[in-house]
Amino acid sequence: MMTGTFTLHSQGQGTSIKFNAMASPCELLIDTKDPSLVQQLATLATNQVRRIENTYSRYRDDNLCHRINTSQGHPVTIDNECFQLLCYADQCFQLSDGMFDISSGILRRAWRFDGSDKIPSQTDIDTLLPYIGWQKVEFGESFIKLPLGMEIDFGGIGKEFAVSLVAQKCRESAPETSVVVNFGGDIEISRPKHDLSPWMIGIEKPDSENEAEQLIKIAAGALATSGDARRFLLYKGVRYSHVLNPKTGWPIIDAPRSVTVAASQCIQAGSLATIALLHGNRAEEFLKAQNVPYWCSHANSIN
Amino acid sequence: MQLGKHKKISHLLSAAACTLVGGGVQAEEMLKDWDIDTAVLIYNETDRVSAMEGVVQATKDFGEGHIFSGKLVVDSLSGASANGALPQPEAQTMSRPSGKGQFETAAAETPLDDTFKDTRVQINGQWTQPLMTDLRASGGLHLSKEFDYQSIAINGSLAKDFNRKNTTLSVGFSQAFDQISPHGGRPVALSDMVIDSGQFATDQDYWDAFDATRQTAGEDTKNTTDLVLGLTQIINRRWITQFNVGISDVSGYMTDPFKVVTQVDDQGNAVAQTYENRPDSRSKAFFFAQSKVHLDKNILDLSYRYSQDDWGIDSHTLELRDRFSLGGKSYLQPHLRYYQQTAADFYQRYQLSSTALPDYMSADYRIGEMSAYTMGLKYGRELENGHEFSLRFEYYQQSSSGPSSDLPALNGLELYPEVKAAFLQLGYSF
Repeated sequence: MMTGTFTLHSQGQGTSIKFNAMASPCELLIDTKDPSLVQQLATLATNQVRRIENTYSRYRDDNLCHRINTSQGHPVTIDNECFQLLCYADQCFQLSDGMFDISSGILRRAWRFDGSDKIPSQTDIDTLLPYIGWQKVEFGESFIKLPLGMEIDFGGIGKEFAVSLVAQKCRESAPETSVVVNFGGDIEISRPKHDLSPWMIGIEKPDSENEAEQLIKIAAGALATSGDARRFLLYKGVRYSHVLNPKTGWPIIDAPRSVTVAASQCIQAGSLATIALLHGNRAEEFLKAQNVPYWCSHANSIN
Repeated sequence: MQLGKHKKISHLLSAAACTLVGGGVQAEEMLKDWDIDTAVLIYNETDRVSAMEGVVQATKDFGEGHIFSGKLVVDSLSGASANGALPQPEAQTMSRPSGKGQFETAAAETPLDDTFKDTRVQINGQWTQPLMTDLRASGGLHLSKEFDYQSIAINGSLAKDFNRKNTTLSVGFSQAFDQISPHGGRPVALSDMVIDSGQFATDQDYWDAFDATRQTAGEDTKNTTDLVLGLTQIINRRWITQFNVGISDVSGYMTDPFKVVTQVDDQGNAVAQTYENRPDSRSKAFFFAQSKVHLDKNILDLSYRYSQDDWGIDSHTLELRDRFSLGGKSYLQPHLRYYQQTAADFYQRYQLSSTALPDYMSADYRIGEMSAYTMGLKYGRELENGHEFSLRFEYYQQSSSGPSSDLPALNGLELYPEVKAAFLQLGYSF
């Protein structure tokens, strides 16, 4: 079996594994120098990530996501993992009063966040709205059935799921070793180091493209960031974020540029961050009510 | 959503995340309550036995692979059952197994003992838990009680996963202890049924003759030991296969105390109804293969079983289920089963009175040559509240066969009657 390529660096008392997947730089920081354990965890992580990407990426035409999205109204057989992911997405949908909706990706056909000033017409949006609405999707333990014309997109949860799953697999395979799983800034630590000292992790600053990495300290738990400084539209002086309201088809106005949330699992942190963004200018208010550490980065200018 | 009234959802998301990824501190909060399955089954053989059965099964997952499951089955049987005797051109009279009373069989009809009535209660408990990574153990107890039969059995198994849990090897063992105390006592093997046709001067004479055909000592227990080796292999995401091989060793009383073999003269006329006798040991071996294939809209389940024993019974079972989704939350599952077996070496439809009695003989159609098929259809639906309801109907038809007879009195009589049965089951899971 292909294990994929990755690079290995010695880092302090530990080892760093780097590879690229899910359109992001991915890193594993392992608190060991034991080469066989490093090799084992690197193989485990790259295999899982590749599998998740192959299964749920919407950019492929040979996978489960594609089969679901081209099912023409027919039920598609799913496995237990996919069922669990759908249950999770369903929870997010329910808990966000329908704002977190994995069927809203179809709005990409109207909206292209390329920094330009091209915004779609209301007619373009209106033709897409009938094909959005997670409540219209039927699914069970072994199947999902999308109404004709609808699509789903695991993009909003896939990367964070991969982080949490790899962290969990590391916990199972190496229960005594602290491992940081960092996929493009979404992070989960399998367990604290034995001396409880924090990890120093470099993450890309969310509101700049080419500046140096930001260094953060984290000893346990998970971090995830939602929002993207580079994906927006500027039209008549208004900055339209790429976060879309699935009910109106229009971008959320006045949302923070990005939200970072700390929680015990990466997938939970990621969903909280995304749901916060969907609250627009009430994002911080929502985050305060969640009683979790968070950081918001605001767009206060249009440059 | 109103300003300033944000719901706290972080703990709910945390719980959902634990369910999704596994592990996590809050996993125990996410465990389901007891899963309860209930079913009522009505079984009806044409002109013969009818039965009603109620099943309650409860399963609880205590987390991390610790699972308890318990099952209670109550069934009640009544009706008539073939006692092995031959049909005759004239009406026949036979004694009931208890000795109290007689039953009549019309000319050319297969004699059916109409006093067949029993209620059975079975209780099972099973505990499964992991012993170490990729190794699970399971142990259980089974108790069964009928009017004239009781059984206690223990079982244990170990299952080990290999190859990233794609391969599972298992070994299982069970030991059952049965006790038989038939109404009217166990007949003396190969003794003749005492039938009161006016030859006894007093009741006491009849009972003395009857009692002489009953065993006062001897074995009334049966012990069964089973050993099964299993291999489960996940071929791919959609295809799982299973192979089992097993051996079974039974020792003790296996004779059916209610069955007889008719002795006939050289014309085919019944001269005696002789109680059957079976060996007190039986060794069986079986092989079982099953494939489940998950297609886009349906799940195909095909299995084959071969079994062989030292009584000379070889059997083949081929079974197919095809569960397909009707869209939404309901499914339909057709079921086909074909079974055939060869006769036990000591099976004989009747005995010529002019020849010496063999050590073992039985005319019980259940150990004779036969084939049977079952056709069924099950409909299941998940209800709004997450409970599941199912309805199953099955039709069973069994054809017995064996050597024909050229004895004049048996000419034109049905020696190997068919058995037809239908059953209906209503299930509810919550």
